[in-house]
Amino acid sequence: MAREPETTASDVLRGTLDLLVLKTLALEPMHGWGISQRIEQFSKSILDVNQGSLYPALQRLEQKGWIDSEWRASDNNRRAKYYALTAKGRKALGVEVESWRRYVSAVEAILATS
Amino acid sequence: MRLARLRLLARAVLQPRIAERELEDEIRFHIEKQTELYVRQGHSRHEAFRRARIDFGGVESAKEEHRDGRGTRSLGDTIGDVRYALRTLWRDRGLAVAGILTLALGVGATTAVFSAVNAVMLRELPFKESARLVSVWEENPDRGWYKNVVAPANYIDWREQASGFAGMAAYTDYPTTVTLTGYGEPTLLQATNVSGNFLDVLGVRPRLGRGFEDADDFDGEQRPVMISSRLWRSILRSDPNVIGKSLALGGRKPWQVVGVLPDGFDFPLPGTDVWLPMLWGKDYRGSISFRRAHWMRVVARLKPGVDGASANATLQTVVKRLETQYPKTNTRMGAGITPLREWIVGDTRTPLLVLLTAAAVLLLIACANVGNLLLVHALSRSRDVALRFALGATRARVARQALTESLVLSGAGGLAGFGLGWLGSRALLQMQPTGMLPVSEIGIDYRVLGFAVIVTTLSGLLFGLAPTLATTRQAPAEALNAGGRTFTGSGARRWGRVLVMAEVALAVMLTIGAGLLMRSYEQLSRVPPGFDPNGVLTVAINLPGARYDTSTKIIGFYRTLIERAEALPGVERAAAARELPATQTSWSANFAVAGRPPSEQSADIIYREIIGDYHRVMRVPVVAGRTFTEADAGEGVGVALINDVLAKQYFPNEDPIGQRIAPDRVPDSTTIWRTVVGVVTSEHQASLAQPARPEVFLPMPQNFTRRMTLVVRARDGIPPTSLAAPMRATVRSLDSLLAITSIRPMTEVYRDAMSRQRFTSVLILVFALAGTALALVGVFGVLAQLVQSRRRELGIRIALGAQRSQVRMFVVRYGMRLVAVGVAAGAVISIWSTKMIATLLFGVAATDWVTYVAVALTIGTTGVLAAVVPAWRASSANPAQTLQAE
Repeated sequence: MAREPETTASDVLRGTLDLLVLKTLALEPMHGWGISQRIEQFSKSILDVNQGSLYPALQRLEQKGWIDSEWRASDNNRRAKYYALTAKGRKALGVEVESWRRYVSAVEAILATS
Repeated sequence: MRLARLRLLARAVLQPRIAERELEDEIRFHIEKQTELYVRQGHSRHEAFRRARIDFGGVESAKEEHRDGRGTRSLGDTIGDVRYALRTLWRDRGLAVAGILTLALGVGATTAVFSAVNAVMLRELPFKESARLVSVWEENPDRGWYKNVVAPANYIDWREQASGFAGMAAYTDYPTTVTLTGYGEPTLLQATNVSGNFLDVLGVRPRLGRGFEDADDFDGEQRPVMISSRLWRSILRSDPNVIGKSLALGGRKPWQVVGVLPDGFDFPLPGTDVWLPMLWGKDYRGSISFRRAHWMRVVARLKPGVDGASANATLQTVVKRLETQYPKTNTRMGAGITPLREWIVGDTRTPLLVLLTAAAVLLLIACANVGNLLLVHALSRSRDVALRFALGATRARVARQALTESLVLSGAGGLAGFGLGWLGSRALLQMQPTGMLPVSEIGIDYRVLGFAVIVTTLSGLLFGLAPTLATTRQAPAEALNAGGRTFTGSGARRWGRVLVMAEVALAVMLTIGAGLLMRSYEQLSRVPPGFDPNGVLTVAINLPGARYDTSTKIIGFYRTLIERAEALPGVERAAAARELPATQTSWSANFAVAGRPPSEQSADIIYREIIGDYHRVMRVPVVAGRTFTEADAGEGVGVALINDVLAKQYFPNEDPIGQRIAPDRVPDSTTIWRTVVGVVTSEHQASLAQPARPEVFLPMPQNFTRRMTLVVRARDGIPPTSLAAPMRATVRSLDSLLAITSIRPMTEVYRDAMSRQRFTSVLILVFALAGTALALVGVFGVLAQLVQSRRRELGIRIALGAQRSQVRMFVVRYGMRLVAVGVAAGAVISIWSTKMIATLLFGVAATDWVTYVAVALTIGTTGVLAAVVPAWRASSANPAQTLQAE
């Protein structure tokens, strides 16, 4: 089924999803839906998280030991799985942000010529 | 691997359902939250939920990706494979059961028999450097002696003069018992007499105390005794201070425990509990009987650096010297050595090797059968496999599936085989004729178990996997179009036919072997034993020398016992003899006739003391003269009975009655002459397979012995076993301290004489039946497969008007061809293979054509039976249905 035409947001690039998730979790522990909402909010609705790929990404990060998860009661008492950044994850976030910036400036430099 | 990942992996593996449920919960939560958001934005609940689902994308694909991420994919596949294998095997239950039974039979039989062979023939003897131990024996061609018992004086001379040996010890291996009193009921213990250096030569250290010393060979003030760990633990309750204690074992002097032997030490015979010293008199060495009576076994240790041949050469030098030194006793008296292990295995070797071969052949049949079954299975699934390829499965994936299936099968079969092997090795030990397997326990040989499982698994893989892979070479579309009608597996099917023919051939070979053994057993049981074992009870007694120290007491005891036995209701007549016929042990001596020159050669005549009318009790007919009477009881003129073999040999043209005979080759002034008063027909003394030997009977009152066996004939219609209790009571009323050696009906003694032949032939027969059953299952499998694959063709034939009987004949003929080729091949192999059992046969040739024809006909006919069901199935196919099913 086709996506609704009114949304103009572009999908988050798969490689950058991990970075955005880490950054979101750096603020506070959050469940999956919350993470996708936050990314949309922060990006002022420019970025739309493909929600089907969010959960595999969370699993990947958890296996790397960058984030941790636990089941907790959310607002009106529903159980939700909350993810939180680990110390290792925090360190990794620094490295990832650094390499992202290098990548962006490199791409910018190329785009700036001519 | 990182800890976190490990933890997640562990959870995913151990609790796959929990991981799955958590994922579902998480996704549901997400969708609910998104739905709420849309509701707040003003959508209807239904619309909101729809949008939320669309946003999320494919839930299932997200789940699948998540599952991949868990890293348990291959494990999950394996579990899936196993489940799938179990499912296919369950769907094909008949085949699975046949396969597992086949494996269990093959693996179980091989494991049990090889474990027994290992325990008897291959195990390390529990002695120091046991490879350097040899058994030393005597031989005498004149008397037909080979590997015979040794005279003590000869043993002492060898020991002192043969330089190739580091030590030479003597022991007795004929049944000896002592009665232990003072510990509850009188207990009969199995005993052996051994020389002082016995343990030193074997290189065995007692667990407690000491072994005998050379001084113990001669009777002294103290009589030392060594006991088994078994006796020490049971009756002596593991007494740590047992060394130095006195044991009441009979005898004038006390017995003192000097040593307890290590656990499991049971040389020379399993079950030995007491080792006694020789107790020779100081003056024995010079007496002629010390060199004339042969009764000891000798074990020797080769000197370091000396091989068997050189040691034997030093022995031969001594033997020659003794021959010239003592012509009266040692003329033509030779000696030889045999490695101890070979000696212990003895004549069990051939039957065990035959059993082992039979088990190996059964394993081969099992391998072929498993291969064949899996082949049939694989062929019937080729369409299924093609479909899986079409759906994108890789070759490796399909191969893995087939592999899993055959591994599941061999796992189950191997387990069942282990159980069968365990039971089998115990059953072998339990049911073996006494003394056939000279070990007290048989451990499962895990190497053989492993070997058998691996061999059957490999053959299963080879024959089951190969055709599966063969089908993969075909384009899936082609296989699917073929609709299971034709296979590229025609090569594999040819393999299947070869396997079945090989199975039949091997089964024929086994069955011919079993048939020959059964026929020779039958021949053996037809041999007239020379006596009537029915209705006779035997009571073996060995009077202790301490309390029965004079001939008057001994003869008095047996006389009274026979009188009282005859007074019992139900007893027709009783008598006693030193030994029963058809048992292994016998005592023999030389022979001379008064008025004839001494014979050039030694003779080997059996002498047996009897009391009462033994021949009448055993229903041995008297040919001439009379049997012994009360008048013969006195010390007056010596009398004797002879059997007809002796009469024919020594008095072919004379009347033996009235002849005077003596047990010496060259009679002298000390010779005791006896007059022959009667001739009786012959009994088979040692075994039924050997002809009756010349024998002399002496009235016991003229030549007494403490060890006698009563034979009690029951009145007509009274079972002899019902006399056992009154006989026990009668013995007790005469001497309450006397332990009876054994009470058995004579029929049992007689049956035991054939027990080895029966044991071997029944076991081989069981293997042969199992092998034949497997081969028939194979024939059935191939035919069922044939019918299955040609259903369409058969349906068309019937539709075109073929008679159903023609269709049936087509299948049966196909089966008959397989069986016929197998039977012919098996018969040809048997001409060669039965040479192995030639020495076990009695009264039947290894190429006995009756057996060959009977086996060929039997297996041929049963082969037809295996074809019946597939043939019927083929002919009952409804053509319309068969053709529609495509």
